[in-house]
Amino acid sequence: MKPAWFDYYAPRELDEALHVLADAGADGRVLAGGQSLMPMLNLRILSPAVVVDINRIKALGHLEAGTDALTVGALVRHADLLRSADIRERWPLLHEATRQVAHMAIRNRGTVCGSVTHNDPSAEHPSVLVTMDGVVAIAGAQGRRELPAEEFFTGMLSNALEPGEMVVELRYPQQPAGTGTAFVEFARRLGDFAIASAAAALTMRNGVCERARLTISGMGEGPFRVRVVEEMLAGQALNQNTARETFAEAAAMVVAAIDPADDVHASSSYRRHLAGVMAEQALQAALLRTGEPTLG
Amino acid sequence: MSDARFANQRIVGSSVIPDEAIPLVEGDGRFLNDIKLAGMYHVAFLRSQQAHARLKSVDVSEARKLPGVIKVLTGQELLGKVEPFRSMPNRFSGGESVQHWLAVDKVRFCGEAICAVVAEDRATAEDACDLIKVDYDPLPVVIDPRMGEQDDAPLVHDTCPNNYLIKREYQRGAVDEAFANAHVVVKRTFKIGRKQALCLEGRGCVAGYRENTFTLTVWMSHQLPYVVRHYLAKHLRLAETDVRVIIPHTGGGFGQKASIYPEEFVCAHLALTLRRPVKWVEDRIENMVASTHARDQTIELELAADRDGRILAISSDIWVDVGAYSTYLWSAGMEPLQTAGLMPGPYQIAAMRYRTRGVATNKTPVGPYRAVGRPSSSASLELLIDEMARRLKLDPVEVRLRNLIPLEAMPYRNANNLVHDNVNYVPCLKLSVAKSEYERQRAEQREAKPNGKLRGIGVACFAELTGLGTSTAVGPGTLLQPGRDAVTVRLETTGVLTVAAALPSQGQRIMTAMRQVAADELGMKLEDITSISNDTATAPYGFGTFASRTAVFGSGATIKAARELRQRILAMAAFVLQAPVDDLTIVNSVVQTLDRTKSISLRDMAEKSFFSAKDIPQELNQGFEVTAFYDPKFGSFAAGAHIVTVDVDPRTGNVEILRYVASEDVGTVINPAVVEGQIIGGIAQGIGEALLEELVYDEAGQPRTVTLADYLIPSALEIPRIELHHANTPSSALGGFKGCGEGSIIGALGAVCCAVADALSRRGGDIHEFPANPERVLKGLGVLPSGG
Amino acid sequence: MAREQRIAVIVNGHAYDKTVPVRLSLADFLRDHLHLTGTHLGCEHGVCGACTIMLNGRTARSCLTLAVQADGAEVVTIEGLRAEDGTRHPMQQHFLEKFALQCGYCTPGMLMTAIELLRDNPNPTEREVREAISGNLCRCSGYQAIVEAIMAAARREPA
Repeated sequence: MKPAWFDYYAPRELDEALHVLADAGADGRVLAGGQSLMPMLNLRILSPAVVVDINRIKALGHLEAGTDALTVGALVRHADLLRSADIRERWPLLHEATRQVAHMAIRNRGTVCGSVTHNDPSAEHPSVLVTMDGVVAIAGAQGRRELPAEEFFTGMLSNALEPGEMVVELRYPQQPAGTGTAFVEFARRLGDFAIASAAAALTMRNGVCERARLTISGMGEGPFRVRVVEEMLAGQALNQNTARETFAEAAAMVVAAIDPADDVHASSSYRRHLAGVMAEQALQAALLRTGEPTLG
Repeated sequence: MSDARFANQRIVGSSVIPDEAIPLVEGDGRFLNDIKLAGMYHVAFLRSQQAHARLKSVDVSEARKLPGVIKVLTGQELLGKVEPFRSMPNRFSGGESVQHWLAVDKVRFCGEAICAVVAEDRATAEDACDLIKVDYDPLPVVIDPRMGEQDDAPLVHDTCPNNYLIKREYQRGAVDEAFANAHVVVKRTFKIGRKQALCLEGRGCVAGYRENTFTLTVWMSHQLPYVVRHYLAKHLRLAETDVRVIIPHTGGGFGQKASIYPEEFVCAHLALTLRRPVKWVEDRIENMVASTHARDQTIELELAADRDGRILAISSDIWVDVGAYSTYLWSAGMEPLQTAGLMPGPYQIAAMRYRTRGVATNKTPVGPYRAVGRPSSSASLELLIDEMARRLKLDPVEVRLRNLIPLEAMPYRNANNLVHDNVNYVPCLKLSVAKSEYERQRAEQREAKPNGKLRGIGVACFAELTGLGTSTAVGPGTLLQPGRDAVTVRLETTGVLTVAAALPSQGQRIMTAMRQVAADELGMKLEDITSISNDTATAPYGFGTFASRTAVFGSGATIKAARELRQRILAMAAFVLQAPVDDLTIVNSVVQTLDRTKSISLRDMAEKSFFSAKDIPQELNQGFEVTAFYDPKFGSFAAGAHIVTVDVDPRTGNVEILRYVASEDVGTVINPAVVEGQIIGGIAQGIGEALLEELVYDEAGQPRTVTLADYLIPSALEIPRIELHHANTPSSALGGFKGCGEGSIIGALGAVCCAVADALSRRGGDIHEFPANPERVLKGLGVLPSGG
Repeated sequence: MAREQRIAVIVNGHAYDKTVPVRLSLADFLRDHLHLTGTHLGCEHGVCGACTIMLNGRTARSCLTLAVQADGAEVVTIEGLRAEDGTRHPMQQHFLEKFALQCGYCTPGMLMTAIELLRDNPNPTEREVREAISGNLCRCSGYQAIVEAIMAAARREPA
């Protein structure tokens, strides 16, 4: 399984990369970690005419845990995120999800921005970015722009990039105080593509859920933000007695709201069922982690 | 002859670290793809994208023009030049299937080879494949055996009515009477999905023209060097003595590398016509469709039993989806005939009946894979026995104890005409019961589970016929009768012993085992013994490595050859030492008198023999090289009892194995650590069969599981720690050895399937189709609607 | 655009200066250009782990890395594990003594993963060992002997 021929560029400056990408248009691909791109090239699922290797662009290597937000440059590897105790403490959802990406050798090379760009329906990062109200910074020959996460993901393996554009940075806002998060996925084996996953974030104050976020992945079209559940939970009093029932209701709403695909790994009905189970488990875990005293 | 000849520490029975492993752990293995010859070309195959179609045209003109392309070979060009593979004769053949090495008018499965491109490198060969234009005229597709055997079904082969490649009915004993008079009749359907061996290394070959004195030398990732030589010669119209086959280090075989395939033969033909070395390496995408598949069976099974749960008779109706061609060498009969014929397993069953079919479909052909039909056969019966136990309110262990062939009854001839002797069915089960704390586990299972999971315990007993000699064909009805393997033992000029056999290992350390046997038989130090294998130019004739036979065959022949050699050594030593032969023994590679007053090392003996021959009477110096053949005639039964504990998550459908206890009888053990590795490896594959592995095809015959992200084999997290115990008893073969490569996969499939069914039964659920993926589990629990 | 590029790479401590096709994988470069055939190809899509090597000190799938990407990098393969005098790396010795290899095809990648694990986590539990090697598929062994070898290496048993 050897790739077809391509023209290979390894620029040291972002401008140069953007220039080449603009010329190549739809025939160009960015090579960062290569953990998603190279299998497709080896299998000849993709045969781009131009491959732009961005690994030499130092400007893309930044990882900054600021007071308001975490900034993740295009060359930040999954493993880099995991090594940061700061991220583990302050952006725990991101840490927890990243731990479940594939295996160490993949995490050493694969990039967070690459995963987001690729938008595999089972991937962890798109879902986390949406749940955390993340922002995608995009650069092209004509300049920079930013998109909220939800607008970036446009469908199965699709994103809002125009030909010649690439993701240069992601921003994850600091989560508000009183927020508990959880990322739960189900895969046949550890590190496999998840059949279904749920990312949940609950912000509690005085026994009331101020803010809820719930995103389901694995349904086929990219991360699915379950607004009906978020709206149902916002303003609800949640305690040990009521939470179980409320979350069961949330799971039922998830099951009703999604429209999963059928594929060789799972049927649509199993995926639908599993999404409900994941949602319930994620919400339960997130609530416990809010540190809310009323939970006992 | 002195009785004290084993004054040596017994090396058989100790876990000596195999020298064979050293190059592998150091990264100096020589696998097929590591072989490079000067001027070597590379081959890639264009493979069919359609499951069943006429080839209207194959346009290779653009491919031929690509720089770096040497040749593009089509099926048309091979017509008349080489003999296609006609299905091997089998007494129960439905019809003949003919497989062209490269498809000529028709393709019959996705992945079937259409063209071979020869180029300067593999990537260029693949570029050329992309330029070949094939015009397919699609034909109706057969993808299901039940539909394929209908009178109005499309035919995969015009020569095979109802798509039967194999069909057999058999009965022995008063079956109808047994069912009529039974206290209980239990019936179940068992389905097991399509599998493949999934060796970490795919197939491959390097074919060379006049690389040495042989016209054709072929390196092949394969299990049977002499068999390959035979068929290469036959199909390429060469003399066998013009062909040399060398097996390099092989990354897994498991039976998948024991068939004869078109690709390697195309390479050999290309080497002869181009007069240049030619290499083909099967990549993983090819391997998923081009190397043989396995299992894919539906078994409808019923048993008749008395009120004590003693089985009076069994009756089975079996369909195996054997794919598009009757695999060359073994025939399509392997799975259907073995599954049916070996159904009684280790149980006393006086009457049996079966109807079994191997139905051709438009999928990759099915070939032998570890234990062939026995895992499905056993699992279907074990699940049925459990259902009977539930019906009669008996414990599953108790029922099995009542039915297993006890030692007192042996030799015991079963309804399938096999004689069981020297095998510990009951001791294995009792040992597993004790070691697994079975009673306590059942008690625990009856308590409610706070974590909401369903606890299941599965018990499976198996019989495994190993080391089959000439008394039985390797598969029922096949006219292939392997049974003669030779070993040569030779004392070299330095007194080192060489053991030579054409029995390649794919990790089983066969030559280490044989060195251990030779060491004990001759009284030599292990480090004074070396080995040669895998090369038809230097190893004596043998059928090769398959069917758990090498421990029996190789060791038996080694013992015979070593005994003869020992006599010759002692005869000459008697002369040299001027001592009576009966006074002599060999200890630590030294021939010595029993009172140790006189001695001569084998090294010095060899030197005398080779370099001072004038001092030795001719009749005593005829050479210290002996070749012996061994045929054990009858097989040796191995046995096991596996007890598996699982937790089933009724929300996700996930199955987790909590505990795994296995007790096995593998006869006299040569190298315990190697045996343990084989047993645990087999268990891992059985767990994969039961829970994870399935090759899926769609309605159009397109494979849906095409990468390792789709076909899931167990990782280190899916295999629990195996608690392994032994209740060994020697076989009647020379040395008391039994094979151990295939038994454990049988026990594993049965025990895990039974454990899952047991867990589901806690909630009145059940499961008939495996692998027990989460979806099937949830359907079995009624959490997901069944059907669809 | 040139289909070949020159790369300078240090492999197992030796510096190499080679011209390679841009589409050549690091695995094929090591195996075919440097004749270091110890690194194996089992799938060429990153799942089986047999091709795992060390790239700048961290494990990486050499089948998913282009040779041109290794320009300026340091690579260690199984051939580079032994000491100057030929003594095996302790992990190799433990694998040998615990029978942690059968056909040997997964072994090169397995060793790399095991070595990285113990570097990051010198005292892993059995569960942690299994998790760490879950990305290295073995079809022969059922993993038990491999786990034992790695645990023995962690305990620094004399090898």
